[in-house]
Amino acid sequence: MRKWFLALAAMTLLAAACAEEETPRGEGPDPSLDQTAADCTAEQSSSLFAADTLTIATGNPSYKPWYGGESEPGSEWKSGDFTGDPHSGEGYESAFAYALAEEMGFSEDQVTWVAVTFNKSFAPGPKDFDLAMQQISISPKREEAVDFSVGYFDVNQALIANEGSPAIGATTLAELKDLKLGAPLGTTSLQAIEELVQPTQEAGAYPDLDLALKDLKNGQLDGVVVDFPTAFYGYADVVVGQFPDVGGDQEQFGLAFESDNPLVGCANLAIEAMREDGRLDELKNEWLEVDTSVPTFS
Amino acid sequence: MSGGREIILPNGTPRPDPGVPAGDRRSRVLGGGGRSTWIAVLSTVIFFAIVGFLIVSSSGWPEVRRSFFDAEEFAYAFPEILAKFWRNVFIFSVAEILVLLFALLIAVLRSLPGPVFTPLRIMAAAYTDLFRGVPTILVIAMLGYGMPALQLRGLPDSDLFWAIVALTLVYSAYVAEVYRAGIESIHPSQIAAARSLGLSRGQALRHVVIPQAVRRVIPPLLNDFIGLQKDSALIAFLGYTEALLRAQIIQAQDFNFTPYVALAVIYVAITIPQARFVDWLIAKERRRREGSAQL
Amino acid sequence: MTEAIRIEGLRKSFGDLEVLRGIDLTVDDHEVVCLIGASGSGKSTLLRCIDLLEPVDAGRIWIEGDEVTGAGVDENAVRRRIGIVFQAFNLFPHMTVMRNVTLAQEKALDRDPTDARAKALELLTRFGLLEKADDYPDRLSGGQQQRVAIARALALDPDVMLLDEVTSALDPVLVAEVLDAIRELAAAGMTMVIATHEMGFARDVANRVAFLEEGTLLEVGPPAQIFSQPREEATRRFLDRIIAAGRM
Repeated sequence: MRKWFLALAAMTLLAAACAEEETPRGEGPDPSLDQTAADCTAEQSSSLFAADTLTIATGNPSYKPWYGGESEPGSEWKSGDFTGDPHSGEGYESAFAYALAEEMGFSEDQVTWVAVTFNKSFAPGPKDFDLAMQQISISPKREEAVDFSVGYFDVNQALIANEGSPAIGATTLAELKDLKLGAPLGTTSLQAIEELVQPTQEAGAYPDLDLALKDLKNGQLDGVVVDFPTAFYGYADVVVGQFPDVGGDQEQFGLAFESDNPLVGCANLAIEAMREDGRLDELKNEWLEVDTSVPTFS
Repeated sequence: MSGGREIILPNGTPRPDPGVPAGDRRSRVLGGGGRSTWIAVLSTVIFFAIVGFLIVSSSGWPEVRRSFFDAEEFAYAFPEILAKFWRNVFIFSVAEILVLLFALLIAVLRSLPGPVFTPLRIMAAAYTDLFRGVPTILVIAMLGYGMPALQLRGLPDSDLFWAIVALTLVYSAYVAEVYRAGIESIHPSQIAAARSLGLSRGQALRHVVIPQAVRRVIPPLLNDFIGLQKDSALIAFLGYTEALLRAQIIQAQDFNFTPYVALAVIYVAITIPQARFVDWLIAKERRRREGSAQL
Repeated sequence: MTEAIRIEGLRKSFGDLEVLRGIDLTVDDHEVVCLIGASGSGKSTLLRCIDLLEPVDAGRIWIEGDEVTGAGVDENAVRRRIGIVFQAFNLFPHMTVMRNVTLAQEKALDRDPTDARAKALELLTRFGLLEKADDYPDRLSGGQQQRVAIARALALDPDVMLLDEVTSALDPVLVAEVLDAIRELAAAGMTMVIATHEMGFARDVANRVAFLEEGTLLEVGPPAQIFSQPREEATRRFLDRIIAAGRM
């Protein structure tokens, strides 16, 4: 009996040690509103992962229309019909990345890309990059793990399907309820299905977009939910419709930084500047082909 | 002591029993009774206290704690994951039953003697080689994505079906080898005795060899079963939401790894009773095992 | 009187080693023949050949007038007519004593379970093992296990019993009870071929004694003649060694 008391005492000690105060979150220094992004970055250059370089993380493969172009020789990314190379500067996010870098004071060859799995972009501990850019949606819960920049893209979710799918012609969420839908893991697309459609058959959650598309082709899925621009890229035959905002707020993509990284403020300056002078819209028009006439599910 | 037969040496003293049965394992782990138990407990507690302290006082600990041991996230994730876990239970329960039967068939085919059965032996051997060689995830992917793609009439489409088939195929290969080891460990004199009583080869196998063989290989059988329980999560690759995928979904949505810890807790909670159950089975069988044919 | 066993020209080799070099032997109904000889002389092999546990290389064997070494013989059926007990008892450790004795009755002979059980009880009582019926073999002494092995073989009502040095592995104090059981069987008229080292026992129970040396039956005759006035030199030498070892 007594040895168990001893063990219990030790456990309690450990638990007490664990229950320490949370270290207060520091806010990054507020950049003065008059500062340019480049000045800000120069000021905070000690926070860069690699000196004089903007290291950006994204997934591999990187899908069109977010990343396009041909593979550079020696690049980890292999381009194809549906995939591109971040180094190319083609595709919305790739183009946006280089524009952002320039605004923050980096030249083209001062941008380095690293391939990370989605999980790595928010895993605890120091990061091997400055920021992650991978069509990551901003949410309050996620803010606990990373620091987001301001949104750089407003995103909606859309449903795609192939010829012969029972999803085609649906205009209301109720009509989608009995269908078998799927989406890639870690996306708001999945949330859209679960919260907006609330289907009778569970949504398929796939490690990657192409696995979801495979099941769509097999006929095991009636439709796949993806973000709007991806929907129009031609991964499936038909864009059936778009979804209203999940949770009521406009969903936005943001850049994910390590918590308390002061560079967030600098990136925000850059993004706001690009938004104000219309560059964000230009990029959108150049790289993303969307047909806003597609009906919204009611 | 162990409660077995006592053997009296020629000089009249009893010979000490060399083995400690599994039921006494706890005291053996703690190093015997009395004072040494105290030292064992104390040193264990101190060791873990030190390790715990080192972890907790490291600079990255608050971040890791938030990311892996977030109480609020745990409270949210645990019931969701547990609800999905019943799917894993279904998958590995059905698969295990099929595996235990199918693997026995393969093991028996593999051990059929005589030239007329050579093709069967070869097929059984090829089967075990193939399915122990190919990674389980590949088999699941090929069956789960490939079979429906063939669009053959009559072939089921369901992820659940193909995942169970895939797991059964793979694990039967491993378990067949476990059975085979058990069967071959039965002394040939047992078979001779059975045959001499006029039992056919099949009857000898069924009544004498296999019952003994299976009892002998219960620990490795449980090992493989535990592996199967973990591998039931591979159905996630097909997009089918079981416990692990549910954990992944929450994790990706909230950028927090605590759901994985919740799942780990569930797995450990079911594994421990199984291990103790098998220990009990072994202790019970140990008395049977020291049988007559040991000369 | 019919012949229970007839053996002609039996040869058996294991690889290069020729263990039985042409055995000729007949055993009549109700006769008890004891096989004696050094270890490795082929006694076990001979018994196993008779029970078709080993395939013969040459020669023929008849059991109760039926040839069992021909083509197309149902070996299982033959083995049901012959009971064999080994040195290492070989009880089935995962079954109770009772089940050990009833298993083959039910499965090999297709006997009704009630009949099988009755027979088992009868035999176990006869050998003084009734109270052990529901025990597992590991609870029994060597002598008890061997008697169960004998009962198990007898339960099939064989025409012939073959006993292969059934007491050689036992503690000396346990040998007697087994020998008594065998004596009783002989008295009841069972045809038996017994390989044994127990010379005193052989002298008591055998109708004939056969001396086996290096695969040949050197000498066969009544115990009185074999033990007191062996004809062959080799027999004499063997018996001298036995006496010197204090076993006679």
